[in-house]
Amino acid sequence: MSGRAAPAGWVGRPLKRLEDPRFLRGRATYIDDLRFPGMLHVAMLRSPHAHARLVRLDASGAAALPGVAAVLTGEDVARAMPALSPLIPIPTPPRTYPLAVGRVRYVGEPVATVAACDRATAEDAVELIRAEYERLPAVVDPERALEPDAPVLFDEMGSNVLWHDTLTYGDVDGAFAAARTVVRERFTIHRYVSTPLETFGVIAHVESGTGLVTIWSNDQRPGLTSGVVAAALGIPQNRLRLLALDIGGGFGNKRKAPYLILAALLARATGRPVKYVEDRRENLSALAHGANGVMDAALALDGDGRFLAIALRDIVDEGANLQNPTLHSLLKLGNIVNCYRIGAVRFEAYSVLTNKCPSGANRGIGKPAMCFAIERLVDLAARRLGRDPAELRFANFIPPSEFPYETPVGASYDSGDFPETLRRALALADYEGLRAAQAAARREGRLVGIGLAAAVEPSTSNLSSYMLATGKGGTSGVGEAALVRVELDGSVRVATGNVASGQGYPTVIAQIVADELGVTPPDVVVSPWFDSHENPWMFSSGNFSNKFSGTDTGAIVGAARAVREKILAIAAHVLEAAPDDLELRAGAVGVRGVPGRRVTLAQVAGAAYRDLLALPPGAAGGLEARYYYVNPAATRPDAGRRVGVQLTFSNSAHVTAVEVDRATGALRFLTYAIAHDCGREINPLLVEGMVHGSTAHGIGATLLEEFVYDDEGQLLTTTFMDYLKPTALDVPAFRVEALETPSPRTPLGAKGVGEGGAIPSLAAIANAVEDALAPLGVTIRHLPLTPARIWEALRRA
Amino acid sequence: MTRHAIAVTVNGAPRAATVDARLSLLDCLREEWGLTGTHAGCEHGACGACTVLLDDVPVRSCLLLAVQADGARVTTIEGLAAGDELHPVQQGFWECHGLQCGFCTPGMVLTAVDLLARVPDPSEAEIREALAGNLCMCTGYENIVRAVRWAAARAGERRA
Ligand code: FES
Ligand code: FES
Repeated sequence: MSGRAAPAGWVGRPLKRLEDPRFLRGRATYIDDLRFPGMLHVAMLRSPHAHARLVRLDASGAAALPGVAAVLTGEDVARAMPALSPLIPIPTPPRTYPLAVGRVRYVGEPVATVAACDRATAEDAVELIRAEYERLPAVVDPERALEPDAPVLFDEMGSNVLWHDTLTYGDVDGAFAAARTVVRERFTIHRYVSTPLETFGVIAHVESGTGLVTIWSNDQRPGLTSGVVAAALGIPQNRLRLLALDIGGGFGNKRKAPYLILAALLARATGRPVKYVEDRRENLSALAHGANGVMDAALALDGDGRFLAIALRDIVDEGANLQNPTLHSLLKLGNIVNCYRIGAVRFEAYSVLTNKCPSGANRGIGKPAMCFAIERLVDLAARRLGRDPAELRFANFIPPSEFPYETPVGASYDSGDFPETLRRALALADYEGLRAAQAAARREGRLVGIGLAAAVEPSTSNLSSYMLATGKGGTSGVGEAALVRVELDGSVRVATGNVASGQGYPTVIAQIVADELGVTPPDVVVSPWFDSHENPWMFSSGNFSNKFSGTDTGAIVGAARAVREKILAIAAHVLEAAPDDLELRAGAVGVRGVPGRRVTLAQVAGAAYRDLLALPPGAAGGLEARYYYVNPAATRPDAGRRVGVQLTFSNSAHVTAVEVDRATGALRFLTYAIAHDCGREINPLLVEGMVHGSTAHGIGATLLEEFVYDDEGQLLTTTFMDYLKPTALDVPAFRVEALETPSPRTPLGAKGVGEGGAIPSLAAIANAVEDALAPLGVTIRHLPLTPARIWEALRRA
Repeated sequence: MTRHAIAVTVNGAPRAATVDARLSLLDCLREEWGLTGTHAGCEHGACGACTVLLDDVPVRSCLLLAVQADGARVTTIEGLAAGDELHPVQQGFWECHGLQCGFCTPGMVLTAVDLLARVPDPSEAEIREALAGNLCMCTGYENIVRAVRWAAARAGERRA
């Protein structure tokens, strides 16, 4: 199980990326790099208010400005398209459009849009639009939003509650009644987001005559977006060609069908290509925020310190998100018991609207908050019981012998060795040594703390789980599609329905296919871009929930093996041998044990495409295959509402030591150690890069980043001067060790790794800070732990 | 709006344009001269994605006006490799997996080129300090630090 075996083929090797040269030379093609003759540029008028009636909108001044080609208001858009349909149906969905109609509901909401000869002119024109608002009371706090007299965002809904439900698994009341110790705490989760360095963008073009709509964008879920956009434009999906180019980071944020729709409507109105690229202020105020919330969490323990039950009341603040709410609630079911044997679970979920930026997918969605809550509870329990936090975790881990392990909520843990992962992380950090150093530092009056967190990293979302919130079917399971083709000259090409935004898919896919077809990775070209008219795809195609290992690998292997069958059938005919006696190696098919009896891939392809009479009698030509892989582990919720929200489970343990400066509240990392296990690693070099990057995301979220709204719903953090991202000085050097416990549930044994460090790092650092401040009796309940906040805690202590 | 004729030596070649006074150097490079390797990450001076060398000094091209570059020499990412051969810093980023989405990479590479020109064998702390004005949202910086060290070592070998 654990430990890395020397790879027999290309899979498992730390190959540097095949696609890098164009990025290194500044020759990549991101959306903003693409231009067309006659292209127009878009700017938006956005709401300055959190909540207001739009009483008058006069765009005539903008329309009259030279260089302006079109102006659209909410009324125009509402005439041109049907209302957006929420992806997660709610009983009475309000009618909303890509532009506000009659009412604005968050600062930054698009109100009108202008297409002009260049961006500067479009922005000039926006300033000429006159909008008059009548302000309404805003609701900013999610608990306030639940009160009966709170301002309501959508009158037709009658309240701000999108979803409220209590899911109970096992005898929770009995467990709490029998408990010797109950640890309860209230944690507030702040708003933050991963902020890809490239903002969201789109170019739309409508072909006159045919009405074919072509859209280039950096949308990371083309499979889902295609249907939404086609429906809005009133065209069949075959008349929408959706493309994605190089994407400058995604992390879940890169999705915004309304912008694609607006660009297409402007292109239709003008007959010219139309480009819209967000500026950073628009990105920070209106693309998507990871949801904030309030978590009331309780952990019941017996007299031996064994965990009996967890109960969670979880309020998720979705902002003005009607499109895809409940994600931050549902995904918590993936790690609600984390790495522990906990027999009973209660999860009371609220998904609530407020006058803030719509929530959206963000690296880990809900799982970092869930891990934060449970790992904080475990530390609080350890302190209460006077036990070492590592030891209490060892006493409660699900033992490796119990895998596959089904949690009370129906998540099935596929593989892992949680105790070993934590042991490795402790050894890597020199836990004993750190404790000794801490004791010495404390004697000197220094505030040194050690924090650890263990985490499962649930990956590959099972779309059936939305049924828990919607009660409706129609979308279930999860999959991905791939195409493998051997060209006439024997070279190999692959395309999938997924889009890359830094993960290195072109290299990893080439490694996988090289092994299947007996070639080398540089022989394999993976289409870097997505094109809905060329690539195979399905609804779940795209980049989300760490799904590459759980779905894409299946599609790639499936397609490659189908091509391999064809190759062997043709070669067997040409060589007059039985297919079973053949082997594919070094770009050729040979007869095992008979040196010299071989045909090259080019010769096989020659028969498939050109020398057609050389094919086996009756065989079809061509040397390509498509495969639509469906992960077989997905099920629908059962009668007890148990469901595997996600399908594979990586795990990790973070151990960190920090020192807090008494005078300033500033924090310094003394060490940061990570042991992680994402099953079989297809490319360890890229996996480690993901571990670093995802952990840095968590560090930023824990120490620096926060979207701050004032009481009236004004967003105070709209630049990178006040929404602070971690720099090279804020992120420590990492010590990383990998374990490999292959998954029996994925074709290559690989599991998700993209969210990894973003999940446990919040808890690990908070636990370290609390440990540092333990002599002062401080409890950490809120993030981020900015110097100001730590200083405040020090002052009050 | 007044328009101004400017002449800039970009990556060793003369370039000219007649631009609005308000046009940034970033937009001039991208829109007027088609050099899209220089990226806009924030357009308010905070991320470093738009970094270019102006007379060998790293600058944020989003904060400079194109007219301010009149008569100067500008090096962008497109001008760094010698034909097929990557610059040692570019090679270092490749060897050490110093990039994921690649959006910060041009600015990071040029900032590192400047560092190594001033400090041939920088410590980890010096590298982190020098890169602290360039945000990377993907890598967590670890492999970027390794990449710069790799480039420093390679340059050291060449000097030896
Ligand atoms: S784009 Fe110039 S510093 Fe961010
Ligand atoms: S590699 Fe994506 S921002 Fe640095």
